Parts: sequence; structure tokens; C-alpha cells
Amino acid sequence: MRVGRGALRALLFLLVAVLPSPLLASSPDNPVATVAHRMRDLLPLLEGLSAPAPQAVQADAQAPTVNPARLDDPARLERDLRAALRSPISRTRLNVVGGRARIGHTSIGSDEIVAGHLVVLNGDTEVHGRIEGNILSLDGNVTVHRGGIVIGDVLAIGGRVRMIGGDVTGTMQSLEAVVSPAEPAPSLWRVVAQRGAGLAGIFVTLLVLGFGMVTFGRPNLEIVSDTVSHSFGRSFTAGLLGQILLVPTFGMLVVGLVLTVAGALLVPFAVVIYLLLAVVAILGGLLAVAHAMGETITRRRMARGLVVSPNAYRYVLTGLTALAVSWIAWVAVGWVPVAGGIIFVSAALATWFLGTVGFGAAILSRGGVREHFAGRILPPEMMTDEFLWATPQFGVPAVTRPAKDPQ
Amino acid sequence: MTPRSAALALWSAGALLAMPAQAQTMRSFTATRGILAERQVIATLDFGAGAVRVGPAAASQLYRMEVRYDADRFRPTQQYDPRTGILRLGLESIGKGGMRVTSRSQLEQTGNFAFSRTVPLSLSANLGASEASLELGGLTLTDLTVRSGASRATIAFGSPMRGECRHATFTVGAGEIDIAGLANAGCREVRLEGGIGRATLEFTGAWKRNARVTVAMSMGVVTLRIPRGTGVRLDASRFLSALSADGLERDGKTWSTPRFDEAKRKITVELNTTVASIDVDWID
Repeated sequence: MRVGRGALRALLFLLVAVLPSPLLASSPDNPVATVAHRMRDLLPLLEGLSAPAPQAVQADAQAPTVNPARLDDPARLERDLRAALRSPISRTRLNVVGGRARIGHTSIGSDEIVAGHLVVLNGDTEVHGRIEGNILSLDGNVTVHRGGIVIGDVLAIGGRVRMIGGDVTGTMQSLEAVVSPAEPAPSLWRVVAQRGAGLAGIFVTLLVLGFGMVTFGRPNLEIVSDTVSHSFGRSFTAGLLGQILLVPTFGMLVVGLVLTVAGALLVPFAVVIYLLLAVVAILGGLLAVAHAMGETITRRRMARGLVVSPNAYRYVLTGLTALAVSWIAWVAVGWVPVAGGIIFVSAALATWFLGTVGFGAAILSRGGVREHFAGRILPPEMMTDEFLWATPQFGVPAVTRPAKDPQ
Repeated sequence: MTPRSAALALWSAGALLAMPAQAQTMRSFTATRGILAERQVIATLDFGAGAVRVGPAAASQLYRMEVRYDADRFRPTQQYDPRTGILRLGLESIGKGGMRVTSRSQLEQTGNFAFSRTVPLSLSANLGASEASLELGGLTLTDLTVRSGASRATIAFGSPMRGECRHATFTVGAGEIDIAGLANAGCREVRLEGGIGRATLEFTGAWKRNARVTVAMSMGVVTLRIPRGTGVRLDASRFLSALSADGLERDGKTWSTPRFDEAKRKITVELNTTVASIDVDWID
């Protein structure tokens, strides 16, 4: 018996599945579509005990109330209906304003007239007769067959509204059921791995940029780095002001160019150059901060007696590693509630702070050209006579080299 | 308990307490209504984010709406009053959170809206930050209002509209809007209001009646594409705006084609621009 039912179900499924969908979507008068829909309707009947037994829903003064007179908020209606469902479903109680409710498959016969709204839960609705009201269906299809008519609106939540020669005077609405969330929540290891990969990518990128700057622009990098070390507070202030004025300056630049007829042509170039300079100043400043941090750390290690090679590449590598420490902590334990958020905010604030200092140092040193704030120029009051003593270049007779000892 | 095992236990407890990322729920909603004896439909369409299409419906349908939306942030709206003909379609924000930035997941939303060709339609479309494509040719539009925010909208009148279009108003915030086939639209008055953006008005199609166009634009580029042989008169009120109008003769603040009064097809354009560029292109 079970084998026979399975075989019949498979045969029906194949028949329905093989039928091309354009046929099914064609006009209601199409006999092929009618047959296909009828066969599809048979499938749920073979589902055995999974479908609830058709029955009326009892009204109860304590039960929730639903009003199908207005079907223009399907999300709210779905929420109300699902909240009313009980397990087993036969225990569900529901009050329907101006109508009645049923559970399971419901069929309105061709000689039947339903006055009022009809709510059907967990089952398909077949309309062969006349319904003078709205139909609200939850988790089931609504099919209006030839000769059937609905004087009102139809809403199928978790189902479809089908017309097979019938008529609906109002609006037909279908709200797709929520099958499953689009994506399951990622696992903890996946979150950590993704964040770690992102951090590693940024670190390697900054390292490559830093090594490039050391190779091709070492003097400028060192001047900005020295500015960071010797004028830390001033650099932060300049960086903060620079961030505040970045956008207004950009706007003034664009407006100023637009106001001049010839300058309007330069707007695209000016925009690109301005953005490029801003990015270079921010990134270069951050790398200069890393350079300064690395230099400080390296010299402290050397002072403790460790033998390391003090070069700019090492400074950048060491400084970037120090910068990454807070972010590594976030990668490792960022998933912990509250603490993860605090670590993230701390790391972001620290990075912003150092980036601001670097940006300010880049501004103060004019991109590593001016050494005024780099601690390289001694003020006149610090000059001693030793520094002021000019070495004569002319008029000083050379001392005769003593003759070699003939012996 | 050793420090290592204690740390492992703490880490595991944190992992259990960690809140899972909120999954996004996309849902589909369909609404359709047949034609009975409607005299007019006054429709409002709201679609804040995603890709939206508007076009003519099947012969028996008054309107049709198919949307796929982010159920965590929006809900579908479909309200129709058969007595007044007032129709409201689209997506409505649930209102979670205060200030939000449009995310990629929101942009996956799609909406297809269709309206009857035969029933007179007054359409007001609020497109927000969506990518919009409106094919309105063949509809019986009486009034049209399209509000577009930071988006790109393409509006086409591919075939002559039925009935008589009184007004067509296009408002663009910081985006692009291309309107083609305005001659097919045959609207008595066309108004374009723009912020920072680009707008193109193309007067192609079957000429129904002379048009009066009002353009108010700030910091943008307006291009008027007009078939050669059409009489054009521009009344320009400009501030820091450039006007490129080859083939037009200037008289004070008015530019017009030679023998404008004798032209069979006439377009009168009132320009009110600030820091903008206006181009008049002729179509052969």
C-alpha cells in the first residue's frame, strides 16, 4: 500500500513537473493548465497525516481577534494569525470579525454561498461557489474555479492565488512564506578567520607601501617621522584641524574653480589631485608614525643590549606590528559581547589618534620637505661659540709635513 | 584549574554568549486587481531602495505589483479604495533604527509595477535611492510626478500616450534622470526640478501638442534634445550658469529659433538655473 502510494505520488509529480510552466501560466481557460492545477491539488491529499483534518475554528471570548475586512497590511495579519496558532492546531481558537475561520483544506461547493469573510489556516481553499466577503488564507493556496466567484479581496499568506476560470472582484494578493533565513549565522571560527584575513591583508598592504616609501622617499619619511617624535602635540592639533577643514577646503576649491570660467575645466583634475594628496598625507603620515614608533622601540631594545640592525625597514615593520597589536586583540576576542565592542572602539580610537598625528606631521612638514618641527634645526640661543666659529678656508698656511726619517 | 584551561573555558563561554549575526529575510509579495468600471486611478508609488520597473499591465488588469523586499526593514503596501480610485503601492519602511545608510542588501530589492492602459491614471512615484526604469508609453496618464533621490532614473514614453496629460513633474535630488519620448507624452506642462545631478529631456516621438517646459536646476547639467525643425524659445534666468544653444538667436534673456512663431511644433522653455550647464542638442 505504501509502495503504491509512493509510486502514484511520483507519477503525479512527474506529470506536473514535466508540464512547461508557460502552459500553467496561460489563460484560465486553457484545459492543460486546468488539468495540471487539478493534479497539483491532488498532491497534498497524498501527504497523509501531515495536513490537519478539516474543521471549523471555534470562537472564544479569550481568543485573539482578526478582522479580514482590510487586507492591506499582510505582514500584520500574518503576525496576528501565527500568534493565534496553537499546537496541536485543533486547539486554535480565533474570533473573525464578520466571518468565520476553518482549519485544513476547505472547499466551497458550486451551490454554496458564504456570506461574510473566510479565514483558512493550514490548508488550501477551493472555491467553486460564491463568497460574499474576503478570503484570508495562511499557509495554503486559494483556487477559484470556473463558476466560482469571490465578491471581495483574496490574500494568501504562504501560498498563491490561482484563477481557473473563476472571478475575484477585488484584489488578489500573495505573500511568500518565509522558508528559511537567507544565510545562517557564520561560525565563530569563520568570523575570526575572516577578520584575521582582513587584518593580515591591510597589514601586508601597509607594509609594502611603507617599504616603498623607505626605498623611494626615505628623506621625506624620516622628516615626517622626526616631526611626529619632536612635535607630537603640535602634530595632533594640526591633524585634527586638517581633518575638520578637509571637506570645507575641498568645497571652496571646487566652487572657486567653478566661479572662474577657465578654472571650471580644471575641476576634474583638481578633484583627483586633492583626493590623491589627502590619501597620500593620511597614509604617509600613518606610516611615518609607524616609523617613529619602530625607531623608538628598536633603540630601546638596543639600549638593553640586544643586537639588532637599526634601519628604516625594521622601523616600519616594528611600528606597524605595534599598531596591529590592538587589532589582533579584536580579531581574537572581538566576538565576546561588550568586551569585543570595547576592544574595537579602543583599537579604532588608537588608530585614528595615531593617524591624526601622522596627518598633522605631514601637514607641518609639508610632506616631509620642511624640517622646522623635526628637531633638526637648532635655535640660535642654543648655538655656542664652538658652532659659531667659522673655519677659515683661505689665508692659513699649511703646515709643512715633516720630512721622513731617513733611517 | 590551570590558567590555560580557565582561559579556554572563558573563551568558550564567550563564544556561546556571542550574538549571531542577524540574517536577512527576503520575501516576495504579489498583488493584482482586475478592471471593473473604474473611471480613474490616482496612484502613489513608494519604493525607497532597490531596482524598480514601471510599465503597462495586461489588458484585464487594473494594476499589478510584484516586489521582492527585505522583510526586516520594509513591508509591502497595497491599498485601493474603489470608491475614490486612490491607490497606494510600494514598500513602506518599518522604521527600525534612526539614521540608516543604504546597504547592499537593500539594493537587492526589486519591484515591478504595472498599470492599466485604458483607465486614466494619475501617478506619483517616490523612488528614493532606487534604480528606476519607467516605460510609460501607451498608458492613459493624466498627471505624472516622479521624485527621485540619490538614484538613476530612466523614463521613456516609447509609444504615444492615450488621453490628455496635463502635468509631468520630475524632481531629482542628487542623481541622474533621463526622459525620452516627451513628444509621445504630449503633456501640456513639463517641469524639471533638480539638485546636484544630470538631467536629459528628449522631445522625440509623435508630436501631439506644443509643450511648455520649466527647468529649475542647481549645480547640475541639463540637456535638452530637440528634433530639428522644432520652434524653441528659451527664457533663461541664470546665475553662474553656462548655456550652449547652437541655432538659437539671443534677445536679452531669451533665446529662440528663427521664425519661432511660424513653427508648427513649439517648445517654450523657462530656465531657472544656478551654477549649472544647459545644453541644447538638435536631433536629426
